[in-house]
Order: sequence, then structure tokens, then C-alpha cells
Amino acid sequence: MEMDRESGKLEQIVSQFRSKILHVILDSRVPSLHHHHHQQQQESLSHSRVRKTDKWFNLVLGDRPPALENLNFSLRNLFDPMVIDIILVHRGSCSSSVDNLYSPSAPAAGPADETVIERWVVQYDCPRFIATPSGADACVSYKKIYKKSIILLRSLYTQMRLLPAYRIFKQLSSLSQTYNFDLVYKVSSFSHPFSREEESGMKEYIFAPVEALSGCLSVSVTYRATLSDFNLEPLVSLPPKIITDYVGSPTTDPMRSFPSSDKGAHATSFPLRGARPPSSSPFQRPHSWSSGFHRGFPSTKTQSLAGSPPVYRISPKPYDIASPPTDLYGNRIQNQRVSTLQQVTAYDEYKSSPPFSPSASPSTPSYLSGTNPLRTRHCSETAPVTIPLPLTGRSTRYLSPNSSDPSRHSLPPLSPRSSKHDASSQESPSGIRSYRKIEALRAGESPSGLSNNYSAQKVVRDSKDDSGRFSALLSSSGSPRIGFSRSSSRLSFQDDMDDCEFSCPFDVDDVDVSDSSSQNTEGKKASEFTAQSNLVGKKSHDAAVGILVHMLRTAPPLRQDSSCYSTHSLRTEYEGGVSIASGFFMPRKTADALEELNSYREMKDLLLSKSGTRVVRKEEIK
Amino acid sequence: MNCEVCQLKELEVEHFEIREVLRCILHTIVFHRALGLVRPKDVDLELFEITYVQCGDVELEKKIDEKIDHFISWVEKHPNKKSQICLSFYEVKSKQPSWFTNKTERLYWEQWYVNLNVTQHPKHHSSKSHHTKLIVDPGESATEERSCRRAMVEASLREVLFQIIKFVNEKKDHVPPISEGVIYFPYEITIPRKFQ
Repeated sequence: MEMDRESGKLEQIVSQFRSKILHVILDSRVPSLHHHHHQQQQESLSHSRVRKTDKWFNLVLGDRPPALENLNFSLRNLFDPMVIDIILVHRGSCSSSVDNLYSPSAPAAGPADETVIERWVVQYDCPRFIATPSGADACVSYKKIYKKSIILLRSLYTQMRLLPAYRIFKQLSSLSQTYNFDLVYKVSSFSHPFSREEESGMKEYIFAPVEALSGCLSVSVTYRATLSDFNLEPLVSLPPKIITDYVGSPTTDPMRSFPSSDKGAHATSFPLRGARPPSSSPFQRPHSWSSGFHRGFPSTKTQSLAGSPPVYRISPKPYDIASPPTDLYGNRIQNQRVSTLQQVTAYDEYKSSPPFSPSASPSTPSYLSGTNPLRTRHCSETAPVTIPLPLTGRSTRYLSPNSSDPSRHSLPPLSPRSSKHDASSQESPSGIRSYRKIEALRAGESPSGLSNNYSAQKVVRDSKDDSGRFSALLSSSGSPRIGFSRSSSRLSFQDDMDDCEFSCPFDVDDVDVSDSSSQNTEGKKASEFTAQSNLVGKKSHDAAVGILVHMLRTAPPLRQDSSCYSTHSLRTEYEGGVSIASGFFMPRKTADALEELNSYREMKDLLLSKSGTRVVRKEEIK
Repeated sequence: MNCEVCQLKELEVEHFEIREVLRCILHTIVFHRALGLVRPKDVDLELFEITYVQCGDVELEKKIDEKIDHFISWVEKHPNKKSQICLSFYEVKSKQPSWFTNKTERLYWEQWYVNLNVTQHPKHHSSKSHHTKLIVDPGESATEERSCRRAMVEASLREVLFQIIKFVNEKKDHVPPISEGVIYFPYEITIPRKFQ
């Protein structure tokens, strides 16, 4: 009876010892777990509470990662060895990770090299002959074993900080830098033997075993003596690269053209772990996720989507968004080694990474998340294309307040008959869509001033006619950005607007010249615009961008029926609309704006004609 | 009870390195002998790329620093000499009281000897030295020599730490039982007489 009790205590010691060792090792080798633990430690220090698990072996380590519980469960057979591999995942040095941002079509960084740099083996061997001590001796034995286990754990804790892998761990734990490597772990009850080449660079240290009457507890470590063979360096921070096809930020001109190349505004350019995107990039917000590839655990799908994005998501191979790399890793391991691993081992490998996402893991960029709301709005993703430039010199004046800026010459031409217009218009259908997408992405991040425009989108959803949409947008918007809308509506206005006289350049009513009532109000609106344009001034560039985005998004698909171009809803909305507040931030002459508007209409017609859609003109409706 | 003695490998250090080296070694030893409930604290050395572990006890840290200050003063009085600092662990045993004495007795069960050879390199400036007025040679060779020397000291210090780990692992039977509520065994830090 006494023996049974002591034997049970011994088993408990061994079991807790394994858990504690695992905790120590993971806390000193896996950066993601370390961050989590460190934060908890800060909290626990303030509360000065000692957990029950901390009391084991008199070593306060903080909360155990949840994965440890799973591992304990899977490795509950005490006589099975516990093998903990610390794996260095080294991605091919790619300072062109920056290039990947801008050239997604470029080949991704090479496959990651995985090297076991440390292997810890904790074993509890059952002796051949088990002595049966008396009750008192058994009690003493249990206490001695516990004391020796404490000492063993202390020396292991110290040794962890002296081995070469600790330096790597410290580097990775530093959040100030990102690296082209990562440390992950694998726990199993079976150790895959090292190759000869691997063994040649390894050293072994065997801790003195703790001998018990019913078994012998031993710990050993095989480690790479030097890690200088690996190109372990911080990823180069983004060089000062001039982004020629920069889509835009609140500080840039919203009228800037969009290149037809795949660069720049490609939303899928996900920065690699080490490549921090330019701070000014509208599509690649800097994210401070701290770990890369494995992070030591396979996250669930939902987790990976919502929480910590492994870097490899952008790589076309071998990882994809749907399968977290850690799962993939686990699966690969299973595929490669399933014949040699026990079932428990396979389970361990899958579960070798805690499922939780440490606090150091920030949010996923929305456009990479599977639940990206922005992405759901668009059904196509195409590269941004150049919006045709206005052809007349007069038109360029009204494209931006700063006409001297050569980048302004990217707006649609006023004259639909120009060759330039024709050439560029071919690209614009897809360009419009991608532009919408890009601007929507931007708009999602832009100041709240744009939100009004998006709410207005619901109102104008059915009004496919450009002018109707234009007016409805502005009428329902609390702070319409008329100028922006006008610039975007160049693509969608009808030819019959050519003859309209605009009282103000970005007056909504100019789209309703077919409506006599609108003509009467133009004068009013012109004055309103004049009065209010000064107020708005250069208030918000990104607000203007948002309006353009909205206009483009609400533009009818080119393949839709012509019935979509009904102006009835336009009329209704216009008549019920509120007074126009010309919120465009740049004062322009009415005539210039009118010309610009006409050019947009012509452009739109041209596009529609090419797509075979019948353009419903206002004159026809009349 | 046997008193286990461990003579640590001699380290050749400069004056300004004494404090860090001694802190590292002494705290590492004490951490292995602080078998009560401890909250380990990682400390990175400034002069070397080594991280050692303290047991997190403020009082202990203060005492060790005091002893190191005492040692440094001694070294300053005896420059260019080999020196030794001894960390001993003991048990307090009360002697059988008699008419003449009622003292307690210390039974040392473990002693650690940290051997240092404090050098004063003429080419290197020591911030704590009172005797030298050195002109620092800004040449490249001096910098290389310094870094080479620093690397050697770091390697030696690592060896000493491994030596400590090996010793505490191999010899466990002489360690007394852990008392409830006691974090670390009673200890003392002394400079052996022969070096005084």
C-alpha cells in the first residue's frame, strides 16, 4: 500500500518533470510561446501569484501553453521517450522580398530549409529489477528523487541559455527586427535518426540521470555546435525604393493615373515576414506579426485567417491560405514519416504547435483574410490600368489644382475621338474594376469622411445611369465630394451632356440636363458650389478618391443590359434629392469641368460601344 | 558529510570585467543551490554574449554585489596577482551546549573556488584603475586584439559555466534536504587567507 502510494508519487514526479522540461524548452526556444509567456509573466508578477504548476520543482515559469496539456495527454505513457526537436526554418535569403512586393509574378523565395538544431530526449527507463524498499526508505527515496529532479531542472534551465540556439531564439524574440528564419518545435515519442552529415556537426550532452527505484530519469541533448553555416541575418528593411506606380495615399493626387502593369497596386502583394511594406503604401499596412513560418503550431483555418498570418501565404507554393503552413508542415511530416512514427507520434506532430495565437501576433491584413470584406465586394481582380489621359490642353487644367504636375496627365481625354483615348480606353474596363478595387481598399482605410459616400452607394445602387448615380450619390451623401465624382463620372456620362451648360464644374445637376428642372437648379447649385468650394478647399484628397471609387464601383458592368441605364430612378432620386453641396476641394471653372465631363461621357460611350452595350442616351429617353 | 569541492577553471580577466564575470559565476552557482521556490531571472551580460540565470532574490543579489565590491577593492590593492573567491554552502548545526560554549557550528558541504587572474594590459584602458594612464591605441590592430581577447574570455567563461553545470549534475547526493520555506542554502563568500 505504501509502496503503491510512493510509486504513484514517483510517476507523478516523472510526469510533471516531463511537462516542466517541455515548458522550459519551449519557453526558451519558441519565440511565439515566449512572447505569450513573457506577457503573462508580467501580469503574474504584478499579482504575485504562483500557479500550481509553478510549484512543481520550485520553478516559477508562468502559465503552461495549452498545447502542453495536449502533449501531456498524448505522451502519457511515461516509459515512452519524449523527443523534442528544435527546428530552424531558414528561408532562402531573399533581400528581394521587397521585390516580391512589387513583382508578385516574380518567383517567390525558395523553399524553406528545415534543420534540426537541437534534440532533447527525456526518458524514463524502467529498470530490469525493481527493488522493493520499505515504507520509510520509499518515502526518503521519493523526496531525494524530487530534490535531484529540481537540481536537474535547474541545470537544464541554465544550459538552455548557453547553447547556440539560444542566441537565435533571442534574435527572433526581438520584435525590432524580422529575420529570414524561424524556430519551431516538434514533439514526438520517436526520434528520427540524424544523417551522417547532420551528426558530424552535432554535439551531445547527457545530464546525469536521476535514479529511482522504479526507474531512471534521464535527459540528453544533441545540438549543433555552430550555427554559422546558416545565413541567419535580419531581413533587409525596405530600401528607399521609388514607387513609380504608387496608387495613392491621402497625400497624393487622386487624379493620378494608374499604370497598366501588375506592379504597385496589386493587393496580393503580401509582405514577407521580414519585409515591412512602405509606410506610405495604401495596400500594405505594416503589420508587426512577429513570427514567420511555423510559429511552432498549426493554427486552425479560422485562426489562421483571423489571427496570425504565416508568411508563406503569399507564396504560390507550397503553401496557400487555406492550409496553414504549420498544418502543412505537420502533414508533410506525417506523409514522410508516418511509416516510422507511432500513431501517438503523428498526433503529436500535428499537435506539436500550440493552437493559440500569441499576443504578439497582430491582425491579418484584410485583403489576405478569407473574410476580407473588401474582397467580397469585387468579383474580379485585375491589374490597374491607365486611365486615358485628357487630350486637350484645356482639359488638363481641370484635372488637378496643380496643373504643372506632369502626373496629372493621366485623366481621360475630353475628346473621345483622339487616338490616345481610344487606345487607353481598351484597358479601362478592367482598369475600372481594378481601380475600384484598389480605391475601395484605400477607401476602407481612408478617413471616415468617405463613409458617407459608401452609405450613399446603397441608395444609388439601382441607378445605373451615370448621371443618376452621380446625382443620387451626391444627394444622399452627407458630404458629397462632387469634384471627385465628376472626375470619375467622366467614364460614364452620356454624350448628350456635351451640350449642357454647367453652372459649376462639379455640380450634380449637370448630369440631368435632359431634365428641364435640373437646368433651373444649375444656377443655384453653381452658386452653392462657389460658396462651398472655398469651404472645402483642399480638405480631403482621400475623400475625393473615395468618391471616385464609389463612382466607379457603382458604374454598371459593361455587360449588363441596357435596361440598367434607366434614368427613371435618376429622376426620382434627383427630384427627391437635397440641395447639392459641392464639396470638391478645388475650385475650377465651370466650362473646364464641363469639358472634362464631356470627355468622360465620351469615354464611357466608347467603352460601352465596344462591349456591345447599348448606350441609353438622355435624348432617346426624352 | 563530505564537503564537495569544485575548483573552477582559471579565468584571465581585466579589471573592468571582474564584476560581470563574478556575478555570472556566483549567481549561476547559487541558482543551482537555491532549491526553494524561485522565479528565474535571465540576465544578459554586457561585455559578453552570455545569458545567465539569477534566482530572483533581491537580498541575495545585494549580498553578492557587496562581496564582489569587497573583492574588487582587494584586487585593486593587489594588482597583477592571481586571486580567488570562495563560495561555500553550509549547514548550521548547533554544538552540544557546554559550560563554555553555546555556539552553532557550520558544516560546509560544498565549496566553489573561482580562480581569477586579473591582468592590466598596458594597451588597454581600465576605467577603474588608479595606477595607469593609458593612451588608447586607436589602431586597427589594437581593436582586433581586444575583440580577440574578449572572445577568449567569453569562451573561457562559457567553459566555466559548463563546468558548474557538470558538477551540480554529477554530485547531488551530498546536497542536504530542502527545508520548507527556505529558498537557498546558507552560504558565504570569502577570499581565502592565502590570497589575503
